[in-house]
Amino acid sequence: MTDTYTQLRKEVSQQFAAPIDMPIPDAVFNRLALAAHALQMEQNGPYAAYCARRGRSEVDHWTEIPAVPTAAFKEVRLMVGNAEPEAVFRTSGTTRGWERRGQHFIRDLALYHEALAPMFIAYLLPDNAKLSLYSLMPSAVELPDSSLAHMITFALERFGADDSTFVVSRDDGLQYDSLLERLHEHSARAEPVALLGTSLSFVHLLDTMHERGDRLKLPEGSRLMDTGGFKGERRELSPTDLRAHYRERLRIEPLFAVNEYGMTELLSQFYDGGLRDLRLDRNVQTERKRIAPWVRTRAVHPDTLQPLPDGEVGLLQHFDLANIFSVCAIQTEDLGRVFADGFELLGRAPGATPRGCSIAMDMLLQANRG
Amino acid sequence: MNSLFDAWFIPGFEPESFTEYASGRAVIRVPHLHADDLSRIARELQVAGAVLRELPVARITTAIDAAAGLLAEPGFRDQALELIPLITGLSSEMAALVYDRMLQDWRAPALQALLDSELGSSAVLDRFVPRVGTDTRTHAVGPDLAFHVFSGNVPGVAVTSLVRALLVKTPSLCKSALREPVLPVLFLRALQQVDAEIAAAAAVTYWPGGTRDLEEVAIQRADAVIVYGGGAVVDELRSRVAANTRFLEHGPRVSIGVVNRTPRDAEDIAAAVAMFDQQGCVSPHVIYVLGSPVDARELARALAHHFEQLERTLPRGTLEPAESVAVHQLRAEYEFRTIAGTGTELYQSAATEWTVVCDPEPGLQTSCLNRFVFVKPIPSIEALIAQLGPHRQLLQSVGISGFDDAEAAELARKLGRIGAVRIAPFSSLPWPPPWWHHDGRGPLIELIRWVDLD
Repeated sequence: MTDTYTQLRKEVSQQFAAPIDMPIPDAVFNRLALAAHALQMEQNGPYAAYCARRGRSEVDHWTEIPAVPTAAFKEVRLMVGNAEPEAVFRTSGTTRGWERRGQHFIRDLALYHEALAPMFIAYLLPDNAKLSLYSLMPSAVELPDSSLAHMITFALERFGADDSTFVVSRDDGLQYDSLLERLHEHSARAEPVALLGTSLSFVHLLDTMHERGDRLKLPEGSRLMDTGGFKGERRELSPTDLRAHYRERLRIEPLFAVNEYGMTELLSQFYDGGLRDLRLDRNVQTERKRIAPWVRTRAVHPDTLQPLPDGEVGLLQHFDLANIFSVCAIQTEDLGRVFADGFELLGRAPGATPRGCSIAMDMLLQANRG
Repeated sequence: MNSLFDAWFIPGFEPESFTEYASGRAVIRVPHLHADDLSRIARELQVAGAVLRELPVARITTAIDAAAGLLAEPGFRDQALELIPLITGLSSEMAALVYDRMLQDWRAPALQALLDSELGSSAVLDRFVPRVGTDTRTHAVGPDLAFHVFSGNVPGVAVTSLVRALLVKTPSLCKSALREPVLPVLFLRALQQVDAEIAAAAAVTYWPGGTRDLEEVAIQRADAVIVYGGGAVVDELRSRVAANTRFLEHGPRVSIGVVNRTPRDAEDIAAAVAMFDQQGCVSPHVIYVLGSPVDARELARALAHHFEQLERTLPRGTLEPAESVAVHQLRAEYEFRTIAGTGTELYQSAATEWTVVCDPEPGLQTSCLNRFVFVKPIPSIEALIAQLGPHRQLLQSVGISGFDDAEAAELARKLGRIGAVRIAPFSSLPWPPPWWHHDGRGPLIELIRWVDLD
């Protein structure tokens, strides 16, 4: 490990302790972003070539650093240095199931844990409650290439009460009876709990409860974190509908259902801030995803990629200092509106569906497979 | 810009209320229909169809020709050329070119050639005529009611579908696409002006695809269902159509090009890709170069040059955000392959206007469209056939260049065996003639049934 490497990691890591409600100062952000860029130009070959092709190997300001479309992670290893990665996070694939999966090579897993902790606590546990955490995702041992499984596993071990556990395993699926029994016990003891999982895993839980005619009255203060959409599923359920079901089946109020937005390609996450606002007794703002102090999010014009003013709908680009060892500047496929205190996510711009009788890319590749 | 267009034509129907839909940069308005409204409309179309069936086909071709003539006049043309760019996103230049070119398919000479090539004599639609070489007579009869489901990729294709049905004296109930609700309506308005009796046998409106109760009525009433659209749309409708209803699908297809060494018509190849902003089923995704990687690179550079020229004469249209995102993502995949040293080369415009990927990997690859084309070297025709073979269900048109007549015929025979339905020079690739065997089938023959009189 070089000295710059160690020094930069230390300085970025210090930012994770910054006050969570305020972006770190521009000057600090810019200095670290440029240092990260210099490191990536030196030691992340493919990304360095990508920047060189744009004449952006050296820049004066972080906004000039080229953002990489997520598709790049399908093609090359985008990691600083030649070390063996400590983990490889893979995208789950999209509705276009044939696609090669994106791979985010993680040089320093501890950095991921350090970056996720303050956001998880600030937005899911703003009251510093020590809750029993139940995961509707298998553990990182079972799903070593899932960034979400890593995140939840870390959260369970670090922040959960002793009886926190995984109630889904890869082989056996949802251990429904066991979960219900535990949740009934917590209800009887008036101990609030937290459930963590993908939106889809919650849909499966709610479906099972519906089939069995089960309904829970989880104690006040119970909450959940759901994430992601319904990749590859025909079923479409709006976040509002899902929240109505949470209230009806679990008695978890909408503000206590905290949606997390994360990406395999980013080590930092974004959260609904309503629960935090409520706990801090301030104006509750539920429309916007909150951004970590060490992350900058921009909306750019989807075609020209020119930055857009606040409030205009554009393609989201994130600049995440926690990504010092891969690529900090990531261009998503998501549309949104960015404001000073967060961004409104308008969802995935669906894969370019050719209109009409021309062919969708996935069909050809399905034919390739079948 | 806010332009409201009444995107419906339903003879004799008085709507009680309307629904508006955003369509590109315009707003369209259609009647709010209930299932029983549509049922009544279908019945009235069948009544008008009974009248249509008694008319000589000559009167129908005259009326269609006259309607196309009206569409060419400033009143209709100006309206069409204002709306099409707003709704489809196509540039004004492209809209005008496509519009004027499509109109020719609905003029009398084109219609007559279609009838003659398909049926031998158009008289067979009017009465029993002797079958050549036999002592029986035969008569061609169209369906009682056709239900058309249009797609929005190329303006005018919907009208061609409607014209084919009219020629075989079949009344039509049409669901248009949100991305091209204009031309069928303008055509029927023009037809009504020239021959209201014929126009009474066609109705078109829009509803969101998958509106169950309306589609159920249309499917049950019609004895022919004609669908243009993506795989999911086609499959879904097919599953709902009764076995004794004729189901004619124009589902997803992919077209390509094959050129010998360094072709001299790179300009035509670029134009064939660029036409309709590559949204047509006839638009090539990949150009295979029979030759070396150097030959392929030469073509890729020539295409890049011509795409840049086309930006001035026939500019790419305005994309939906998702379409732009797809271009950026696909470019990134190939740029990182370039960086990884796989021999891939990427040529691209400043924003997303056009992209050429020269890729040594020979597999058939689909484009994200909107002027994004792959150029791939292939050592031999045998190697090409091996790559295409697995995609026989999807292959449609093949543009060719640089082959003499004998080579072209041999290549066409081989391509035909693996699913291609049309082999053509690039200059005419985007414009199949009205009588072409669309997706391999006779456009009128597939509609009619024969009645023999011994």
